[in-house]
Amino acid sequence: MNAAKPEQIFEGNGVSPGISLGQALKLDSYNRVILKILLEDSLVEEEVKRVQRAIQASREQLERLKLRFEEKVGRERSFILDAHILMLEDRRWGSEIEALIRNTRANAEWAVRQTTEGMRRAYESLEDEYFRDRVIDIENVVERILANLAGDKPFSWAALPQDLVIVSHNFNPSTFAIMDLEKVRGLALESGGRTSHTAILARSLGLPAVMQIRDFLTSVTTGDTVLLDGDEGRLILNPTPERLDRARARLQKCRALHEPAPFQAGAAVTKDGVAVSLRANTELPHEVRLAQRCGAQGIGLFRSEFLFFADPHGFPTMPAQLETYQMLAREMKPHPVAVRTLDAGVDRVMASPSSATEPNPSMGLRGIRLSLAARELFRTQVEAILRASLEGKMEIVLPMISTVEEVWEARKLIEEVRREITRDSGRDMPCVPVGAMIEVPAAVLSLESVAREVDLLCIGTNDLVQYTLAVDRGNPQVAHLFQPLHPSILHCLQRIAEVGEALKKPVRICGEISANPFFAVLLLGMGFTELSMNPLSIPTIRKVVQEVTLAGSQQIFKKALGLPTASAIGDLVLDAVSKLVQTDLSPYVKEIRAQGGGPSDYRN
Amino acid sequence: MIRQVVSVENRLGLHARAAAKLVRMASQFSSEVYLSREGAEQAIDSKSILGVLMLAASQGTRLVVSISGLDEAEAGEAIRRLFEGKFGEDY
Repeated sequence: MNAAKPEQIFEGNGVSPGISLGQALKLDSYNRVILKILLEDSLVEEEVKRVQRAIQASREQLERLKLRFEEKVGRERSFILDAHILMLEDRRWGSEIEALIRNTRANAEWAVRQTTEGMRRAYESLEDEYFRDRVIDIENVVERILANLAGDKPFSWAALPQDLVIVSHNFNPSTFAIMDLEKVRGLALESGGRTSHTAILARSLGLPAVMQIRDFLTSVTTGDTVLLDGDEGRLILNPTPERLDRARARLQKCRALHEPAPFQAGAAVTKDGVAVSLRANTELPHEVRLAQRCGAQGIGLFRSEFLFFADPHGFPTMPAQLETYQMLAREMKPHPVAVRTLDAGVDRVMASPSSATEPNPSMGLRGIRLSLAARELFRTQVEAILRASLEGKMEIVLPMISTVEEVWEARKLIEEVRREITRDSGRDMPCVPVGAMIEVPAAVLSLESVAREVDLLCIGTNDLVQYTLAVDRGNPQVAHLFQPLHPSILHCLQRIAEVGEALKKPVRICGEISANPFFAVLLLGMGFTELSMNPLSIPTIRKVVQEVTLAGSQQIFKKALGLPTASAIGDLVLDAVSKLVQTDLSPYVKEIRAQGGGPSDYRN
Repeated sequence: MIRQVVSVENRLGLHARAAAKLVRMASQFSSEVYLSREGAEQAIDSKSILGVLMLAASQGTRLVVSISGLDEAEAGEAIRRLFEGKFGEDY
């Protein structure tokens, strides 16, 4: 296709394995595809109306946001929204966009972007730093118009060719929710890292990804042929014909590996007869098919944030949520689907300018705290989950519980909503099991009181590790201290297993740790028989469970409890589990070393 | 047609809040209100916030205001007072 262009190789960090071959699709820094589409003459005036509607809708949203802002933080802080509203009222800009659409017959998205580029250049040439930075305000407003354009008549992925490799500086995980995943084959980014949310998702989707590729974007244009190698951490632009042939052969082999008949389903049983249920953690509705194919016994954790991030207004309506939950319930039948209620900070859902951000969001108004502060949001979500339970088994899981009072309050609201729907619909709404995410040390230490009030316990291992060890794994200076194998974590987990057992409450591990065979055996040894993980890991974990005994796992765990450091525990499991299992565990060694604080590519 | 010179006296200059006030004020009048830096050719429409911000007028900048229309006298007076009153900011 691009025979004339020379081959160029860019090195990066492979964060999701596999190779992909396709055409580059470049996204802007807001992850939007801005393509110029030539319109039929007859459609031009409709396109002008479309951009006018989007601008009007943006204005109305900002007016509402401003009102809410003035209530919450006072008039003084809302002036920046005033400026944004005035930008939307700016007739000069509006006319420029409309004229561009009429004169070039281009689509609204392109015209909006094009006029902004001119302004961006003009602003960036200003000497005064304050005024130069107003580019950010303009971007903010443009982003909103584009979102409204997308909501008005969604950008159609149907017009794009098959086999795309996304190239971008950054990638917002919520973009996965709006992409056509049937067409996207890989992800190449300048930023990011192995532990980023995007990387975790790419692995879960089986999408090869290379991140931290330096300065490659200027060399790539949409439509270029690229070969992405997630194993080697490499992007090859305009590969030579010889290399293409070799890549195609490798791809065919990979596909054969990836597309077998469905994996074995049902519970995994250890050699000594203990059944372990394996469920899927998902966040995109799309992943349900993957979960089925991998033999998941239900969705152990559906992270509902993406429904919110993917919605142009940040608040998906009840019917919109219901549609997704019903689909999940139907597809996973007879297995349950656990929906974790919105677990995001206030900054993410209000889609507000930076002034609303908290200095310490992971300890701020998020999870159940936000749900109890913004009750309508919570009630809407609960209503959708309850209604979906008529289609299949649903569970409600409450994130960030730190005191039993939050459980009381949430359960009261859930019951209220249930009664209201029963009254309004005349249909008797069944009670849906309610679980608590155990991820804050306070909840572990006062677990008895929390456990008595819920139907199940779900352990959010990433947050539990972060809060127990006081480590932000996104901070490269301390990322090596993020040690899921730390003795304190094993003690927390053991305590949760014991309390669950004593009070007869099911306990589910919902975290990436259960996707590592070494750690999975340790969890089995503690007594956990419900593991929820990214779907693609289920087949391997199933095999491993079938190769071990409960007794053997318990022995390993007992030995581990006596060890003083994460790295000693890491050494123990590497040695002991390898002896127990025939499956090749070499791909997982590096991760266990990292969890023990050892050297690894986790420090990036 | 009125031409007058005003100077930006508030500490932050014609930043977002002040610019918003100016645009709202100018938009109340039917007259056309143009601004340019003293000595510069290019004039911007003061009813366009994107234009006003692009003036990048920091404290001490002198601006030429050109107004033409039926209510030009009132508009000129209102705009002069807005600049003199430092956009209602205390500093």
